[in-house]
Amino acid sequence: MGFDYNSLLAFIIFGVTIGVVYGIVALGISLIYSGLDIVHFAHGEMYMFGAFFGLVLAHNVGLPYPVALIGAMVLTALLGMAVERVFYRRLTRAGGGYTVAGMGMIICGFGMSVALVNVAYFIWGAEAEPFRANLDYIPRLQFSGDIEVPESYVLTAIISVVLMAGLHYFLRHTKTGLAVRAVAHNKDIAYLMGINVPLMISLIFGLACGLAAAAGVLIGPMQSVQVEMGYLMLMKAFAAAVVGGFGSLPGAILGGIMVGVFENLGAAYISPSHKDIYAFLLLILVLMFKPSGLLGIEAKVKA
Amino acid sequence: MHFALAGTAKKITGERVLEVKDVHAGYGNLKILRGVNMTVPTGGIVTLLGGNGTGKSTLLKAVSGLIPLMEGTVLFDGVDISNLKPHERMRLGLVQVTQAKEAYPAMTVEENLVLGAYTRRDREGTKADLERVYEFFPVLRERRKQMSGTLSGGEVQMLVIGRGLMASPKMLMLDEPSAALAPKVVLEIFANINRIAKSGVTMLVVEQNVRMALILAQYGYIIRDGVIMMEGEADHLISDPAVKESFLGGSVADTSKALRN
Repeated sequence: MGFDYNSLLAFIIFGVTIGVVYGIVALGISLIYSGLDIVHFAHGEMYMFGAFFGLVLAHNVGLPYPVALIGAMVLTALLGMAVERVFYRRLTRAGGGYTVAGMGMIICGFGMSVALVNVAYFIWGAEAEPFRANLDYIPRLQFSGDIEVPESYVLTAIISVVLMAGLHYFLRHTKTGLAVRAVAHNKDIAYLMGINVPLMISLIFGLACGLAAAAGVLIGPMQSVQVEMGYLMLMKAFAAAVVGGFGSLPGAILGGIMVGVFENLGAAYISPSHKDIYAFLLLILVLMFKPSGLLGIEAKVKA
Repeated sequence: MHFALAGTAKKITGERVLEVKDVHAGYGNLKILRGVNMTVPTGGIVTLLGGNGTGKSTLLKAVSGLIPLMEGTVLFDGVDISNLKPHERMRLGLVQVTQAKEAYPAMTVEENLVLGAYTRRDREGTKADLERVYEFFPVLRERRKQMSGTLSGGEVQMLVIGRGLMASPKMLMLDEPSAALAPKVVLEIFANINRIAKSGVTMLVVEQNVRMALILAQYGYIIRDGVIMMEGEADHLISDPAVKESFLGGSVADTSKALRN
């Protein structure tokens, strides 16, 4: 009556891989929150658009998968920056910045989400599209026993690590990254130090949307791409961000991994038909014991 | 651009660094400043006094550009900056030093100071200025690698002033440098402000600590209900019965000696 440790390992590996993708979307949500003080409810749609852009670039334009990934990130970043500049920023005109715009931003986010989904419906229709990616050059990994990790998972893991390392390097070791951190902490002081705050806000938004797009392209080959995929991802990524501590970047990754693992374990050992519930179960559990999230920071003093 | 202040002669010299002309400003529909006029001459220390809710912070924000002007103009060194964004004004040499609690706690002392030089391209000049800041505030040199969140209140205040100096400003605007600090620490900080002013940086010091501010400065403005109620040479204001009654209690004799180093 041995416990099947092989399977457990497999579930954990898959859970971590998918979890890191949740973490990347959660990273974007936390980035936007710490930089702009808003919860971006249309972030799931950035993920969805990223997936579709990647699909179009890979299938229709015929670019190799990694190039399509980068292309999708750039296109979605531009889309996100345009949305922020044209729509969200208008709400701050009344003075007081994004913080005061508060409630208006939340509602605008919901509206933008609906608008973006419908634009996608119009362009791509309602059917789920499979994302066939040529990943032959990526090895499958064999673990002890008969656990085989498919190429898409391996690639996802590698790219996720690269993205996170890149973001970390940018934030900690470049002058612009320092400016982004300053803006995220306190916009007024950053302004007073000569930092072009509106430009940094656009940059933060673009970064976050680019990350969401990467997640979309990475998930593509594992599931299919469909216009409504953003909704569920937003919920799970949001849960991940809160579990890890809303506004904390390492927390977003940690939260994502936890959601992914919890989800897989729940589906494997409790019930597969309710797979999507486990993320929220975890959320409730964590919040009961640590309301500020695992790596949660204290509420910032807002200027 | 910079010239040293001769001794502590309390005479106001000609050229003006900052001119605030009939400024009306506020937040959204709420007007706080209702026609403020103020001038800061080059090389001096001017103080802006008032209690809470009188409009001091609003005036600072209007001058730095954090809030737009509803009416009026702001001139900096002769240039109309009324429509410039804060980072643009800062690059002209108008630097605001925020209150002590607004340093970046998750960065080291040195990182905070270097951040002050964000807009500068000259590495040699920046290094030289960093040394100058450490000479003004030796305790910062001791703690250069420490997270600024671990510093005491007085040390953080020195840090943010140092950070302002790193921008090589023509004028520094200090927002309540004495706030939440023990009197002995306030003395030390004000003595430093005096030294910095003598080295050629014009200062506008917004304060609630009326007594110390009027000893430090040459000229003072008193703001209330969004307008300037009184202005004058600091030594006149200190002995003015109206000012004495509303703000000061008791004698001011002893503190003046300590500031004269």
